[in-house]
Amino acid sequence: MGKPLIMVSSVTYAMKGKQILNNAGIRCEIERTTKRDISNGCGYSLYVPKDTDEAEKILRENNIKIIGRTERSNSK
Amino acid sequence: MIYLDNSATTYPKPLKVRQAVASAMQTAANPGRSGHDLALMSSEQIFKTRKTAADFFHFSKEENVIFTLNCTMAVNMVLKGILKNGDHVVVSSLEHNAVMRPLEKLTQKGVSYTVAEVFPCDNDKTVNSFRQAINGKTKMIICTHASNVWGIKLPIERIAALAHEYGVLFAVDTAQSTGIVPIDLNNSHIDFLCTAGHKGLYGPMGTGILIVSGNTIPDTIIEGGTGTNSISFQQPEELPERFESGTPNYSGIVGLRAGIDFVNANKIENISKHEFTLIKHLYKELSKMPKVKLYMPEPSEEYFVPILSFNIDGTDSENVSSFLNKKGIAVRAGLQCSPMAHKMTGTLETGAVRISPSIFTKSSDIDYLVSVIKKI
Repeated sequence: MGKPLIMVSSVTYAMKGKQILNNAGIRCEIERTTKRDISNGCGYSLYVPKDTDEAEKILRENNIKIIGRTERSNSK
Repeated sequence: MIYLDNSATTYPKPLKVRQAVASAMQTAANPGRSGHDLALMSSEQIFKTRKTAADFFHFSKEENVIFTLNCTMAVNMVLKGILKNGDHVVVSSLEHNAVMRPLEKLTQKGVSYTVAEVFPCDNDKTVNSFRQAINGKTKMIICTHASNVWGIKLPIERIAALAHEYGVLFAVDTAQSTGIVPIDLNNSHIDFLCTAGHKGLYGPMGTGILIVSGNTIPDTIIEGGTGTNSISFQQPEELPERFESGTPNYSGIVGLRAGIDFVNANKIENISKHEFTLIKHLYKELSKMPKVKLYMPEPSEEYFVPILSFNIDGTDSENVSSFLNKKGIAVRAGLQCSPMAHKMTGTLETGAVRISPSIFTKSSDIDYLVSVIKKI
């Protein structure tokens, strides 16, 4: 599975994505994406420790704009 | 004080709205910027309001709900974000200056417009009037849903369908109808809905909404920081951030959600019924007074929203307002920022006295108003 952080393009998509995943019974948290992971700087991610692939699929089906997936920073 | 100026802004605000605003002032950080808990909590509050507003208008895309300062700002964003040199626009003969002033400004950039006459209580003639005004260069129809002076309701579903038929964008100003008339964006051809948050939604002043409900996205008229994609000087494409640069009116937006919850709890049909009962009673009483000039037929739900304007023969509307104020009654006189609506009734010189109730208005308030008017 791997890469449990799903990067999205805006805080609104992060909030909407969280709501969609929670409604689907998938636990997630919103985190700030580090600049290391996002080339254009400043963004939000959904941290989905379990069922990340399923979560990404659900988000895409609901037109949440996903930038990509990444690992969680070691400091977290 | 008896407050009958709710078309300007509803007063008082519901207790839960005031509590929500106070709470938001006590616990909040800048939403959409940082990643700490308080900022994320604030972002969540904003998103919840977006969802509440989207649900209110039966619209599924929360991200297309854009918070503005007021309806005027939303109208400006649509007109100036869409119209270019050579474009033609159709407006109604009842438009507020929120539409007319930005449109007039745009004429300096080569935009032209035609005014479609509204025929009170005759939707067929009104729709035909819009049809006649469309030409080959027409880019958009923008009109009020309900006149802020005479309460005349326009058949926006039919006008939206007409716009769709001609491949023309349709924008509507629902400042006076939101919270009184149900609006279903899922079953309409409305491309842009502009409304106030502080009128029929009972939110705080300084709140407005633009819903981009069609596929056309306006250009921006304000750019700046959005908290995302910060390395780029280009304004983000994503809604709503594209249109919400700078720190938002957080406490206002949170209060707006409480206002919409208030309207939902009381139900639009009940609010409308209550206000119409009051306005119809007022109309009947005023129509008994020979000195009172009424310009419209008795308001019905089919053709009006509950707003009633009148004059008293030989007395300037501002003097009537001033007299009522001394008796503890707050109303709006003059032109109500809508000279077009007054031109239609020949009241540009005199203006008119406008009565607009809310859910908090009591029948005894109207009785007192009638008794005071009798003394003028």
